[in-house]
Amino acid sequence: MALNFQNSDATPLRRVLLVLLLVVSLVMVTVYAREGADGPLHAVQNAVASAVAPLKFVGTSAAAGADAAGESLGNATADESTLSGLRQRNAELTEQLAQDEELRQENERLRGLLDLKGTYDLDGVAARVVGRSSNAYSQTVTIDVGENDGVDTGLTVMGSTGVVGQVIATTGSTATVRLLTDPGSGAGAIIQSSRAEGVVRGSLDGLLYLEAVDADVVVNVDDLVVTSGLGGSYTRGLLIGRVVKVEGSPGDATRRIVVSPNGTAGALEEVFVVKSPVADDAQGGDQ
Amino acid sequence: MGEGRGVVAAGLGAVIAVLLQVVVAPNIALASALPNFVLAYALVLAVVRPDRTGPVLAFVLGLVFDLLGSGPVGAMAFLLVLVTFLASRAFSVLDNDTLFMPLVILVVSTLVVELFYAVFLMGTGFSAGPLDVFLYRALPCALYDCVVALVMFPLALRFLASRDPQQPGKPRLR
Repeated sequence: MALNFQNSDATPLRRVLLVLLLVVSLVMVTVYAREGADGPLHAVQNAVASAVAPLKFVGTSAAAGADAAGESLGNATADESTLSGLRQRNAELTEQLAQDEELRQENERLRGLLDLKGTYDLDGVAARVVGRSSNAYSQTVTIDVGENDGVDTGLTVMGSTGVVGQVIATTGSTATVRLLTDPGSGAGAIIQSSRAEGVVRGSLDGLLYLEAVDADVVVNVDDLVVTSGLGGSYTRGLLIGRVVKVEGSPGDATRRIVVSPNGTAGALEEVFVVKSPVADDAQGGDQ
Repeated sequence: MGEGRGVVAAGLGAVIAVLLQVVVAPNIALASALPNFVLAYALVLAVVRPDRTGPVLAFVLGLVFDLLGSGPVGAMAFLLVLVTFLASRAFSVLDNDTLFMPLVILVVSTLVVELFYAVFLMGTGFSAGPLDVFLYRALPCALYDCVVALVMFPLALRFLASRDPQQPGKPRLR
């Protein structure tokens, strides 16, 4: 291998700049870690998230458009190959059917949200997911409602089948929702059948784990897990999911309880932001 | 390519990389892995223009990435400044005028950045085990970044590399 030493011409100024920027970076990391969520760096981060929200919406729309274009291209190719008017008509109908199916699914999801709202007697606002996190380590989505719609940080967010996350930042017209599947999220929870309390936490593998449950509590697959409201972070009595796996047995301190999540960042399209607490007699609550 | 045009082209590429990170990256996730266009671009630039790329662009790109995400502000800026410097120096020393060396440097650099970014996250309170972080995020993301960097590399050679035949340290596709 020919070694090339001719390019080691970094000037002293450049090296000073390098060290300076490294120090500045480390100082910022330290400040960020020590300041609270209301600190200046967090504020700048939130402001940038707000500023780029429209771009994320463009990306989401473009992704949907690309899917539709791919489908249309497939249809168009079929038309050229057959040169048949009937097939062209068939392609149009197929496209129409795909659009109808899209609308039907959206209608179904919105109806699910409405049912959920009725079931729990909730007050809140429906929202569309307009962006997703550009960082692999955070499971967050951006929704198209914000402070102007009465949305504030800490509010619980539901999908069509139950709790999906919590609002962690807001702007006038958008809000950032941290999903339950994010490793940084945690929700006080109750196993509905046994009333045993625990904490549901997200993880990097995309699963929810129910932790801090007393070792002697019997937990079975298909047990419902609902929010407990403890700690005040989530509205009480909302469905989180079902127990899908229990590794270990009662008395085992290392028992792992896996709960099925209600939504992932890639699958969510519409959500419901809960503004009011759930009535005590609501389904899924104390029973 | 003149120095002025080169700087403009590098800046334009940086803007495109940021836009790709915001608009495209969230929509092309593979399982849980997202590509880091900003990282890939900074590294490719460090290899393609090893003697002409200072730390400022890497710092700005890293800072923008930090501000776009929810991780600690300054972490990616620190890593990009450090690793792009090391990558450019390594390339200047080890370049043997084949495609092998820049590719090795790109692959190693992406892995190093993703690993140490995970370390930064865990050091600032990210609640996950080291093994999970490595298996579920750092490694898949590094592989994805490598693919992006390898796609960017010939484009950067075409549009960003110096055309001076006497200029050493310029990788050539062979």
